[in-house]
Amino acid sequence: MKFWAVRFGSIGLAVLVSFGIGMIAQGSSGTVSRLLALAGLYVTLAVSLNLINGITGQFSIGHAAFYQVGSYTAAFLASILLSRGVISNLGTPIPWVLVAVATSLVTAGIAGLFIGLPSLRLRGDYLAIVTLGFGEILRIVIQNTPQLGGSYGINSPKAFVVPYVWMLTFLCVGVCRNLLQTAHGLSFLSVREDEVASSAMGVNVTRVKVAAFVIGSAFAGAAGALLTFNEGFINVNSFTMDVSFIILTMVVLGGTGSVTGSIVAALTLFILPEVLRDAPAMPLNAVLGTLAGIALLVGTIRLAMDHKGLGRSIWMPKTYIGIGIAVAGGIVVSVLANCLPALANRTIPSAELRMVIFSAVLVIMMLLRPQGIFGVRELGLKSFFRRANA
Amino acid sequence: MPDPILSLQNATIQFGGLVAVDNVTFDINPGELFGLIGPNGAGKTTCFNLVTGVYKPTSGNILFKGKVINGIPPHKVAKLGIARTFQNIRLFGALSVLDNVVIGGFLRNQTNIFASMAYLPGAIRETERLRDQAMALLEVMDLADEANGRASDLPYGKQRRLEIARAMATQPDLLLLDEPAAGMNPQESEDLMNTVRKLRDDFGKTVLLIEHDMKFVMNLCERIVVLDHGEEIARGVPVEIRSHPEVIKAYLGEAC
Repeated sequence: MKFWAVRFGSIGLAVLVSFGIGMIAQGSSGTVSRLLALAGLYVTLAVSLNLINGITGQFSIGHAAFYQVGSYTAAFLASILLSRGVISNLGTPIPWVLVAVATSLVTAGIAGLFIGLPSLRLRGDYLAIVTLGFGEILRIVIQNTPQLGGSYGINSPKAFVVPYVWMLTFLCVGVCRNLLQTAHGLSFLSVREDEVASSAMGVNVTRVKVAAFVIGSAFAGAAGALLTFNEGFINVNSFTMDVSFIILTMVVLGGTGSVTGSIVAALTLFILPEVLRDAPAMPLNAVLGTLAGIALLVGTIRLAMDHKGLGRSIWMPKTYIGIGIAVAGGIVVSVLANCLPALANRTIPSAELRMVIFSAVLVIMMLLRPQGIFGVRELGLKSFFRRANA
Repeated sequence: MPDPILSLQNATIQFGGLVAVDNVTFDINPGELFGLIGPNGAGKTTCFNLVTGVYKPTSGNILFKGKVINGIPPHKVAKLGIARTFQNIRLFGALSVLDNVVIGGFLRNQTNIFASMAYLPGAIRETERLRDQAMALLEVMDLADEANGRASDLPYGKQRRLEIARAMATQPDLLLLDEPAAGMNPQESEDLMNTVRKLRDDFGKTVLLIEHDMKFVMNLCERIVVLDHGEEIARGVPVEIRSHPEVIKAYLGEAC
């Protein structure tokens, strides 16, 4: 009894929060509303890729392909409905949106099945190349298929999907979290840890890998369908390799295998560039000096951390000397840069600066915390992620 | 004479020109403690890999409970009732000690993946059941205190015991132990010997083990087969093996 009360309570809460976010989106500008939808979609993409990459350990770097399959399925369905006069150009009614999402879930799941099958034979970098290739082939095929809009793209009537985006996000997170709490989830993790040992323990490695691909890509497909109705227009440029890499970066940054990590990293990596959009232009020499200083500082801390393994604190005299060198080095670089005619008195516009900062954050993360923000741990409301996979 | 639980009948496997296991034939009776020994590279682990379905024999048959199991994939062999440990420990390092054993029990899991995804009461109960079973096995293997630690953080001897606990969780009839005492100090291997005996006496398991620690094998096993270069060179009870000229030659060389 209590079990079902908690269950329906949490589902109700998730629906309520989704509609809450929807109301915020409705009350704010078009840009904010769009960002709220995209944030949810990216969290879904990251969490679903985490199921394949982090939890099952299958290195897939073509997640945008499944996103694309879903998105185009929905757009194609909408164009059929439009031509039959079922929906009008003014907008897609929500029931039809949900039908499209369900269809996309299935088509992307089938695509995942087809990509999951070769993964039985391949591992590591080889699988990565296959998934990458699949994404690129799909994109180029669609680009050259006039029926799917070719390189122009497809228009589909818009719908206000923000609440549904977040419901999908909660569903995806919920499914992953549920899985990790059961023996089934452990069988996924065991495949990541050691395939030979898992099969010797009776885990059907083949089935686990395919299941991970199907579930992960189905969620990406559903996210794609919602993207279609949120944007009202899609083309292949929304599904380039960059998108796959951003999603992959979110998973790695969050800590492969950690659901919470994927969520936090997805939100951070999505919001960071948006916030930095308004950053002021900076003098080039100052930027170079700062970067040099940070590089030296990160190097110092990394070295200190390596020594810490020997039972020392990282705050030893050498660390302070390193920090001093980092500060001095930064100033020296900045002054020197201003002396070079080619570099002097130039500024970096904010649009480019944000990519510099973005990259620097990633490099720093990988040096100082290669296991990701959360490592393999989970964090959350008391029992929400209580015992995940560590 | 009961029917053998495992029989190798002229089992042979060839990798290119190398015959790793050559015409090996032996029967193991239910409830036996059976030893497989031989110098490095004799083909002992390959025998294990043949039995557990990692390799398919080039010729000959492997029978488990009277049924031919050649070429059946490892996860199905495990389900039939053969579990193994590995020479170079293969635990799920990043997972907890308890979870390692839970995964061992997963093959007798009764729920489907959708129930787990929806976290239905059936899936929760099943997971709880596997967890209880795993905990009980950790008690047997004297690892209960470490249940929540990371498997890779365990000291070497305990990792080996955890592998046995994990294999036991699959509820096997036949347990294959690949060098269970490797890297253990005398006290640890003494304890392990008692544990393995307990697995047979209290749990009715049949045990086939590979071991280089002669004291361990001679004290524990009831029958022994000796392999060298893939071929059987001797078989018998420990006393016979100890003084068998071929065995001494294989281990110590011609001059002795």
